[in-house]
Amino acid sequence: MPESRAGRPGLRLVAGRGDRQAGRVNDPDPRTLVRAREGDLGAFEDLVRQFQGDVWRFAYHFTRDRALADDVTQEAFLRAFRFLRTFRGDSKFSSWLFRITRNCAMDQIRARNLYVERVTQIAGSPADPQARVELHAALDAVTPEHREPFLLVEVFGLSYQEAADVLGVRVGTIKSRMHRARRAMMDALALEEEAR
Amino acid sequence: MNHEQAERLLSARIDGERLATRQTVALEHHLEACAECRAFERGAYRLREAARFEVAPAVPDLVDEVMAAVRTDAKPSGLRVVRPARLPRRRLLPRLAPVAAALLIGVLIGSLVVGGPWQRSQTGSALAAAEIAGGISAAAANLDAYQATFSIHELNMSTDVPERDLTMRVWFHAPERFRLDVVDHTDYPARTTPTDLRLVVDGSRWFASGPAPCPTAECPQRESVVRNRLPFSTDAPIPTDLVLPISTLADADRLTVLGRGTVLGRPAVQVEVPFERARPLFPFLSIAGGSIGGDWRPFFPNDRVRIWLDERNWFPLKWAVYPATGVERDAWALRFGLPDEPSLRPVFTVTALDVSTRPPSAGVFRIPASASAQDQGARSVGLTDVARDVGFEPVAPNTVGGLERYRVVLPTDDTARSLIAYADGLAFVNLGETRTWAGTAPFGPVGVQAEEVPLAGGGVAYYEPSTDEHSRRVSIHAAGTDLYLESNLSRPALLAAAAALPVQGLPMPDAWRIRRVGGATVERVPLQAARSSVPFPIELPRTLPDGFGLASVELVDAGYGDGVTLYFRDLDADAGIGTIRLHLEPAQALPPATSASQSSMDVGGAHGRYTPDRSELEWVRSGVYHSLDAPGLELPELVAIAASIGSGG
Repeated sequence: MPESRAGRPGLRLVAGRGDRQAGRVNDPDPRTLVRAREGDLGAFEDLVRQFQGDVWRFAYHFTRDRALADDVTQEAFLRAFRFLRTFRGDSKFSSWLFRITRNCAMDQIRARNLYVERVTQIAGSPADPQARVELHAALDAVTPEHREPFLLVEVFGLSYQEAADVLGVRVGTIKSRMHRARRAMMDALALEEEAR
Repeated sequence: MNHEQAERLLSARIDGERLATRQTVALEHHLEACAECRAFERGAYRLREAARFEVAPAVPDLVDEVMAAVRTDAKPSGLRVVRPARLPRRRLLPRLAPVAAALLIGVLIGSLVVGGPWQRSQTGSALAAAEIAGGISAAAANLDAYQATFSIHELNMSTDVPERDLTMRVWFHAPERFRLDVVDHTDYPARTTPTDLRLVVDGSRWFASGPAPCPTAECPQRESVVRNRLPFSTDAPIPTDLVLPISTLADADRLTVLGRGTVLGRPAVQVEVPFERARPLFPFLSIAGGSIGGDWRPFFPNDRVRIWLDERNWFPLKWAVYPATGVERDAWALRFGLPDEPSLRPVFTVTALDVSTRPPSAGVFRIPASASAQDQGARSVGLTDVARDVGFEPVAPNTVGGLERYRVVLPTDDTARSLIAYADGLAFVNLGETRTWAGTAPFGPVGVQAEEVPLAGGGVAYYEPSTDEHSRRVSIHAAGTDLYLESNLSRPALLAAAAALPVQGLPMPDAWRIRRVGGATVERVPLQAARSSVPFPIELPRTLPDGFGLASVELVDAGYGDGVTLYFRDLDADAGIGTIRLHLEPAQALPPATSASQSSMDVGGAHGRYTPDRSELEWVRSGVYHSLDAPGLELPELVAIAASIGSGG
């Protein structure tokens, strides 16, 4: 219900060293998926309930705008509903849904001409030395093409293959971009530390 | 192995990718000797921790919004209707073929607000729409007293006032005592008259005060007083939907049930209606016919209003306006200078702070004395006085529609008539009667194009849907008397009440049914009679807005061949589309241009034209001239209707 729209901030899950599975997005019960594909709105609602948090977070990380993330989330689920019949299970459902979410986010950003603005901002300003959340500062220091795989793999726990499915690139590209993302983010954090 | 190769392998290993034994051995050797790569590995884990321990942004619960959009997407509704709010309401000026046009100008009057897309809920989890509509109707008849306090939060009234907070208090005591106070708490950046409003109704007296609408920030205060008010007068109405949304949610076929939940600690069901349907929930926007109301943000007719109803008593606990989406709304917002308004963020929210059925004290409804009161001329009398004063014993059952007789008045106008009000809780029926009706249309606020409805037990009545000027009403022409009923009961309940009266409704007499207009004759006839009278097939549109049906048919004989006019109406509540009129007559070509702003267009392969200021689409097909218009329809809707007539318009 909308009373809970504000949600509650909280710590994301605690991950141990090397525990890449901790942030993993689980796929739905296959029976729910089958019923939703057959047009069962109750089953689709279950899917919305299960994935809305991850979809919204991904949209938010992508857009950095709460209202835009709301819109992207709704549009992503709408598109998912429309095209669910075309989902054959070739990839994980979560990967498929993230791919749709990414497309929706790109559309929104293009429609609002935000992309250029964000790229300019990233290119023109190094990480804010006063930034209180260093991850955000570091994320701002990398290009979108490097930030996306980082978010999918590190925050949402997707494998390289799943991230490749979402982004429509080869596994090798994910591997390469992950390395570059890490290097760029570490450099940004080092700059930040030097500035303190 | 160089740094870059080592870092690539480290990155992959951190992510759980399996390395070949050869790669692992080489990597470990490199790490032993390379502090820079060890720093990379530590940094990568630090980033991971930052990512995983990041304070997550508050995630909203969007399930309701998403599923509402999905349901809308899953089941396209009837025609979508778009008409800007706050624009002057158009009066329909019929323009058919030139001769027919001359005959019919003035016959129709648009009265109209706007409707929108409506669907039934498709979820089994929600309460059935019929259960909600029925529950509200039953609760309305049983409610004696109510008082509540609400907070109002408004966005984007203007660029310099992006947010406002107001308080609204409501008191009600059955059957006709009501008070509404709105207090504006906004800290305005410049001198501004606050939107402080008051409306008090005490039976036959009615009082309203507040700032008059004006183009500047400082507006004059205005008062409006009515005395000898007609019972349940729509000229001085009581906004009882604030207590129970009996008008907004009367029609079960037209509300979308979104789901159930808890609001203010109470079990609640959420429903959605377009803004224009929900107007009775926003009476503070315009009081006393718009002469009082202060300043408020504009609303688009298809903005979505979500209403949370207390499941135990159907009181509205919260309602919020969510912006509609689409290019029409964007264009409208541009006209009003509104900022981008995301569709998932409410722009106007009313929330109950406390609700009680404790009877208010009588002092709450005290009305200030005023010398300049408008007299509606409704003189209260006893039932036994009616025969003496107007010369007949009125039809006056003890109950009508299950409601008790409450007040008898004698309106002072040219017709000797009685008006008996029946009420229970918020529900009312007005029963008017005269024995000397000399009008050329049914008695009461009912037109000659009203829908003829057979009554249970025999006879017919003429029915009009509710509009913003009148509630639902029925006129009965019987031997020696004419009656009408006006009520906020549902259509079936009103028709049942009409059927229970001890009179037999007769069809319209010829004097109403046939009239001479200019040099032509217009005759109301049954559809079958029209079909056998004209030399062309009469095909009804297969596509009409939800809830619309054929209300009446007229033959038009202008001396050069019969034409026929079909009237389609929303059969429950006219929420803005108005009457859809389709006129047909033999012709080989469109008549000469009749407006400066007409555009030619293809209508299903036929040559046609569109006249935007009349919302009229004309075309000629198979030797028949078609003219289709409705005050509240735009070109796409008209085209959709045209395409559904015959072989495609």
